[in-house]
Amino acid sequence: MFGGLMARIGAALMRMRALVALAALVLLFSILTPSFFTANNLSILTRHVSINALLAIGMTFVVIGGGIDLSVGSVAGFSGMVAGALITRGIVVTGMAHPWYPGVWFVIVVALAAGALVGAVNGLLIAWFNVAPFIATLGTLYMARGAALLLSGGRTFPDLGGDPTRHNTGFPSIGQGHWLGISIPIWIMVLLALAAQLLATRTVFGRHVYATGGNARAAMLSGIRTGRVRFMSYLLSGICAAMAGILIAAQLEAAHPATGESFELTAIAAVVLGGTSLQGGRGSVLGSLAGAFVIGTLADGLVMLGVSEFWQIVIKGLVIVLAVILDQAQSGLHTRLRLAFLRGQPE
Amino acid sequence: MTGAAHGRHALEVTGVVKRYPGTTALKGVAFHADYGQVSVVMGENGAGKSTLMKILAGIESPSEGQICLDSAPVHLRSVRDAERLGIAMVHQELSVLPNLSVAANIFAGHETTLIAGWIARREESRRSAAVLESLGHPLSTSLEAGALSMGQQQIVELARAIARRSRILILDEPTSTLSRAEVDVLFRVLRELKSTGVCILYISHRLSEVLEIGDRFTVLRDGRVVAVTGREGADHRWLVENMTGRAIGAERAAGVMPVTDELLAIEELSCLETQTALPPRQVLHDVSFTLRRGEVVGVYGLLGAGRTELLECLAGARERSAGKVRLQGRPVRLDSVRSALRAGIALAPGDRQRDGLVPDLTVRENIALAALDKCRAGPLLALNKEKRLVEEWARRVNLSPRSLDEPVASLSGGNQQKVILLRCLMRHPKILLLDEPTRGIDVGAKAEIGMLIRALATEGTANGDARERLSVIFTTSETDEILSLADRCIVLCRGAVALDRPTAEVSEELLARAASEDRVPSGAMQ
Repeated sequence: MFGGLMARIGAALMRMRALVALAALVLLFSILTPSFFTANNLSILTRHVSINALLAIGMTFVVIGGGIDLSVGSVAGFSGMVAGALITRGIVVTGMAHPWYPGVWFVIVVALAAGALVGAVNGLLIAWFNVAPFIATLGTLYMARGAALLLSGGRTFPDLGGDPTRHNTGFPSIGQGHWLGISIPIWIMVLLALAAQLLATRTVFGRHVYATGGNARAAMLSGIRTGRVRFMSYLLSGICAAMAGILIAAQLEAAHPATGESFELTAIAAVVLGGTSLQGGRGSVLGSLAGAFVIGTLADGLVMLGVSEFWQIVIKGLVIVLAVILDQAQSGLHTRLRLAFLRGQPE
Repeated sequence: MTGAAHGRHALEVTGVVKRYPGTTALKGVAFHADYGQVSVVMGENGAGKSTLMKILAGIESPSEGQICLDSAPVHLRSVRDAERLGIAMVHQELSVLPNLSVAANIFAGHETTLIAGWIARREESRRSAAVLESLGHPLSTSLEAGALSMGQQQIVELARAIARRSRILILDEPTSTLSRAEVDVLFRVLRELKSTGVCILYISHRLSEVLEIGDRFTVLRDGRVVAVTGREGADHRWLVENMTGRAIGAERAAGVMPVTDELLAIEELSCLETQTALPPRQVLHDVSFTLRRGEVVGVYGLLGAGRTELLECLAGARERSAGKVRLQGRPVRLDSVRSALRAGIALAPGDRQRDGLVPDLTVRENIALAALDKCRAGPLLALNKEKRLVEEWARRVNLSPRSLDEPVASLSGGNQQKVILLRCLMRHPKILLLDEPTRGIDVGAKAEIGMLIRALATEGTANGDARERLSVIFTTSETDEILSLADRCIVLCRGAVALDRPTAEVSEELLARAASEDRVPSGAMQ
């Protein structure tokens, strides 16, 4: 009887493992470094986390739907470069004497559209041409990275503050500004997380994503357009990645073509830590948010403790592996139950 | 000459129980087979024959019970264990390795090697040619197995089991794709093997064949051995009566349905399977029949006859290669599941776990899956509306509202089937397609679902208004089910309609004979 209670507690802890890990880490670092638990440090931490959180939120839909998106890091870089190009070089139309410098809102929309474009390419490859998600998004990872480099010949776009004479100032404030005392990237993260959670749990689309990832064939036989569902999830992921890229460029006031390299792995780690299964059908947006915080807190705390940055890389790798092992352990139980049922057709 | 004469059985199984979550496939089976005999195991789907054979072949382990070989108890933990002890099995579903040659297939897992893993290809080639010759099928052993016809692939599988020189040979539906001539050759080989002392276990639905080759007959029903007899005691009637558990001539569907207007007309429906079978296989040939409003049509047939494929074509889940379907006189396209659902045709798939249920969603979410647009409030889902609708429907089929929030994987087979049925019903379909609706369900739940099907056809889904009456097409592998539920019986044999008559004019024997008739349909690709 006691064993049963322990098993139930264990299962609940497993499900909320991201929150538990987060609480443990915060506690640990607060004890080890007094300046960890200060408003200043926590707000810097949260601002850093917000970038990964945006990527993780978009990735959550893709993974719940049964896929994976390796291109998000490249998309972040690409969209940052698109924004940078529009601000520093403007749009040159043949016949015009001077380039046209679009306003900041236009720049943002186009940069988001660039992310949506890559997402759409992913969606098309995966849902229409039936390319395996790993391969398809690996391909777009390289294509988007190449496009980012091509935009500037490998150079950085500096001075994204804009020029008042060109009416394109204000871009950096998206990454550096505050509203009601809270920095804007944090607002964006919170609002996106809430909207995404609503989308996942309270809309028909969200239910369709869970169904498609849980059992695509059953979903199809229930009349769900699984191809369309997958396409939309990759589109969403691309847009979220673009948003992250815009924020990074705004914060740095410059767009580097190498921005976002290997961000996708951190995003996947956050998603898996948060309880979303890589096999699809299970998970939550808020869980991914918690996972992103775990990773961010770990990174921040290790820096404050003065841990060598090479060790930080090792630890990051360990965390990712641990996250996947835990995911396998949890879904292993599911798989075993599923297999038992599949074999259990008495014949 | 047989082992039994010495009081020792080749194979003896006592008290074998096999439990799966939610159901017990074998409930204490005692069974034995002797060398030099063909022991036939019969039973309807769900009776437990394949489970028992899988246990003997080492694919599954029993939950309880003992297996003895030559009176010595053995533990079969894997297929290799079983093979080392001399047990070989030829499966119902062909498991040929399509990219390897015939010779490689025959020796897969038991390659003839020289030194250090170097395969002796010429030796293998010679020996496999010899085995195929003895089966009357001198195939070129260097052919790629995937390019062979199904019948030829089955021969290769048989050759593989024979080349192992096993003492115990288990054959699960070995003749399902063989022509009469090929069956004759197989039986000749089996008789030869018998004379060399091999113990043969034979599972088949084909009554006449089984009576021809069998020496001993064991009938399983509901996970237990219910009857055993030798050659002299076995005939069609004995087999069918013991398999179904009732005297032939049991009750039929009550009453005669009033003649109503024609709802669905299927004309020369053909379907080509290109993906899982190489070369492409004709799974349906010119299937034609009509369905009337409020009618319950049962489709009977053996595995591979095309029943599931027929339903999938009608439900828009499978592409048809020819033929027309008319709904209320007008042709319908049915090229996707959505278009079929819009036309009012809903399918409850046969493999509940693989095609029907989303395991991570709750019962309620599974039920509402096809009708989410009815549970909306603006752009969002109205969860309380969903709850109300699902609860209303759940009450009608006796599904406890308490179970609605549980993960769907925890339900019993019968309740899972209800979940899938409800999902279809929530869309108010005109035509309900049920693929093996009572497969893997215990007797009590079977009866409940049977009554539900008849109620849907006679009373409909809402207020008993004649217009709301559903028409049902269901497939089954059990003769008593089709006779008690259906107004009309259709039998499919190798993708073609072998029988189409009102239930009153049909008997178990007629059904069984029609299903296994050895016709080679015209235009078949073999």
